[in-house]
Amino acid sequence: MNATTVYARHPDYVQRDVAGECILVPIRRSLAEANSIYVLNETGAAFWSRLDGHRSLQDITAAFLEEYDVTTDQLQRDVETLLADLLSIHAIEEVAVVDGPTG
Amino acid sequence: MSMVRRDKLNHLPERFPVFCQWEITCRCNLRCVMCYTDCFNRPDFIRQELSTPDILRIMDEMADAGTLELCLTGGEPMMRPDFFQLYEHAIHRGFLVTVFTNGTLITEVAADRFAALRPHRIEISLHGLTKETFERITQGPGSYHRCLDGMRLLIERQVPLTLKSTAMTLNQHEILAIKQYVASLGSVGYKLGEEMRPELDGGAGPFYYALSTQALALLNRQDHDLREASFQLDQTESSPCRSGMHKFHIDAYGMLQLCSGNRDDGYDLRQGSLQEGFYHHLPSFACRWKTPATKSLLHPTINHV
Repeated sequence: MNATTVYARHPDYVQRDVAGECILVPIRRSLAEANSIYVLNETGAAFWSRLDGHRSLQDITAAFLEEYDVTTDQLQRDVETLLADLLSIHAIEEVAVVDGPTG
Repeated sequence: MSMVRRDKLNHLPERFPVFCQWEITCRCNLRCVMCYTDCFNRPDFIRQELSTPDILRIMDEMADAGTLELCLTGGEPMMRPDFFQLYEHAIHRGFLVTVFTNGTLITEVAADRFAALRPHRIEISLHGLTKETFERITQGPGSYHRCLDGMRLLIERQVPLTLKSTAMTLNQHEILAIKQYVASLGSVGYKLGEEMRPELDGGAGPFYYALSTQALALLNRQDHDLREASFQLDQTESSPCRSGMHKFHIDAYGMLQLCSGNRDDGYDLRQGSLQEGFYHHLPSFACRWKTPATKSLLHPTINHV
């Protein structure tokens, strides 16, 4: 995981709030995923919402460390797993790699 | 921090508008003998159907309310000139969209649009395996081959497809053959329906073609899957009706109702919001199949008919 990478949510996924759950619905789905939806837990949804194409991973994780009671190691493991999941379904895309903080 | 893939939601409140069946038109290019909506397939009724802006507004209200599954049906939904505008709006709002269609209006262009923004599922009515039976039911010359063409176009594009038949006197001899044919198509699903309903204007025409209980039982006994499905249906029908809790119906004129089979009460979505209608009016709508609160749920005695 490169902490200076900037990711953006892919426009082919629609975020829905259904009965308090954050759901990602693929709008260009394959036959294999015709019946699938993807459900993010609360922190997963918070992370997803910040993948805005402007903030780098290091900026997002820094904000998370201030906001949530989590260790750096645990957060890094969680972020790596979630990023891999989101990339595997093409729900996010890499848009840039920056040199420093993106604010 | 996690994401999981699911095919349904796990924790819904007791009452939540997650599934909508929407009869967006009673227009149809066919005249199926057992159809219950075709009595309103007339200019005076068509003029009263919801406009495009009305439907888009109600869809947006549904999205805001948390509706996830949306079934567009008719009539023949593709008879609306604005069908793809509605369909594509629904997809972009993040609904899991199912379309009930007779398949005869699915051209290459239409199939391409379905393939570009895939539905949750398309269900096509295949009531006969021979042209004679099929068109005796649809009363539409040429409809058999147009339906098969529509199916082929969707299958070629790997659009999720289910075929379904209504068992009746005119096609009971072909049901098992239809089922075998569908199995040969690979990833295409099949459903057999047994339900006949009175026409929306109260006419009893469809019942003229209904199978007797004995004929239905005989049909179901001949096939393991049909037997299982019939058993499951019996189980469902002996449970208290839960329409209006997670599911609701909207007719072509914007009336919010408990379900397609119960239109005794309605809330006008042209005049009020979906939230208001679902949470404040639907719960008071009568349903003769809902078990009274005092009745033991372990031994329901009120059944759907």
